[in-house]
Amino acid sequence: MANQGEALRMPEIAVASLYQRNLVTRHTGRAVRLSIEGLVGELGTTSLTILDFGDVAVIDFSCADEVVAKLVLRAVDEQADDTERFYLFRGVRQHHVDPMDSALRRRGLAAAAQGPGGEPFLIGEVDPAASRLWLAVCEAGHAKLDELAPELGMDPRDCGRLLDRMCARRLLRRAGQAYHSLFYTFAEAERSGKGRVPDDREGASPSGRE
Amino acid sequence: MSRVIEVPDVLDHKGFEALVTELNRVTESDAARVLFNAKHVRWTSPYGLIGLLAAGRVARERTGLAPSIEAPDNRDVRKYWERMDFWQVASEVYDVEPVPARVHGVSDALLELTPIRSHHDVHAVVDRVRERASTILLNKLHYPRPSVIQFSVLLSEVCQNIIEHAEADGWVCAQTYNYRERLGRDVVMLAVMDVGIGFEGSLSAEHSRRHGERWSAGMALERALLHGESRHRDPGRGQGLQAIRRQVGRWEGELAIRSGDAMIASPTQDWGDLSAMRTGLEFFPGAQILVVMPARLENE
Repeated sequence: MANQGEALRMPEIAVASLYQRNLVTRHTGRAVRLSIEGLVGELGTTSLTILDFGDVAVIDFSCADEVVAKLVLRAVDEQADDTERFYLFRGVRQHHVDPMDSALRRRGLAAAAQGPGGEPFLIGEVDPAASRLWLAVCEAGHAKLDELAPELGMDPRDCGRLLDRMCARRLLRRAGQAYHSLFYTFAEAERSGKGRVPDDREGASPSGRE
Repeated sequence: MSRVIEVPDVLDHKGFEALVTELNRVTESDAARVLFNAKHVRWTSPYGLIGLLAAGRVARERTGLAPSIEAPDNRDVRKYWERMDFWQVASEVYDVEPVPARVHGVSDALLELTPIRSHHDVHAVVDRVRERASTILLNKLHYPRPSVIQFSVLLSEVCQNIIEHAEADGWVCAQTYNYRERLGRDVVMLAVMDVGIGFEGSLSAEHSRRHGERWSAGMALERALLHGESRHRDPGRGQGLQAIRRQVGRWEGELAIRSGDAMIASPTQDWGDLSAMRTGLEFFPGAQILVVMPARLENE
């Protein structure tokens, strides 16, 4: 469970509706990404942004690169300056997956996603062992290395390396000795009421903030 | 006095090659006004129809004069050109009177001839095509439901190719018809063209030095379509064409891109007449993209 120090590091949460029904063209993708980056820039140095694809009918490959891959790329690249940005893609349906997966793989990236029914899955470049481990953390919500390694029959050093690598790739969040899934982090933040305002779907901005 | 270009009676991708040969012959000697004589055209594909616009644009650029055009005598062909909004768009290229926009009823046109000048046009095309794509792809081609969205993605990517790489305007159109003589099935044919800098010009700055004297339009097409390379160093770029190729392959269709003096096709099918690579064609600027998607057989 989170101790006081972990609570202090609890990410600020934002939920962005993608507003556009058709996420097509690189130009549109750039505008959407800049809007999301503006939103994320207003949050603290540790943040989790939920991007809701529930209303997105079409996303093409160019837009997936601009929105999905570049947001994740910057989150992974920003590690040097002590910020921790996490992204979670929600409401992702099968027809979104191909462009998102392709865009992420071209850059050697991966992202945490959730289907319309709430099922967690990874998109992009992830090896099968890491994927199994990630699902195990998602199922537990949060877990420590000495719980995960025996459960999955893995060598603890290999398991630790994979877990730390997934934290660096912003697929999991580390809090002390525990590894937290982004879904658990979001649920915890909701419970604590941290930084939530109503989702503004009717607004003119491409993103609403919770 | 005008120089006359005889438009081939069958204006498809092969007819377009003949048209380009004529165009280059007629415009190489002097800058006289050009007349495109389409009176004897008996059949036109979407690729041929856009090709006629592209050829008109090139004639205009080479001579500095808007070319004129003789409409086809054949009633069915004339009707088809009208249905595809050819004359609305032709007034921006040819010396013809502007025609008011039509209200479109039920038609076998999936997408009428539409200019692509900016990302707004791509959005408009994707918005416009959804309902008709749903009717045609599901009911006529018997494709599964996700194909409607996949077709929108394909359309968006091919149109963006114009905006991102051509440095010029272009056009798109798509139509369904029965490909009787080759396939005995309905197909959707999608054509996209521009007369911009072409693949060789687009990729040249980034790739030509590496390939030295072997660098050519054919190689540029190969690097772009088969290897996903683009003019940008960014690894996120260049995936659109590869994605289109994969999708067309899943539909067991054909994809061809002509640029400069070369044409690449991948995938190709037994029922088609496209070669994997043709070089040494008559030069034509820009890029010309052809996609053919066949109906699924009942037992597929």
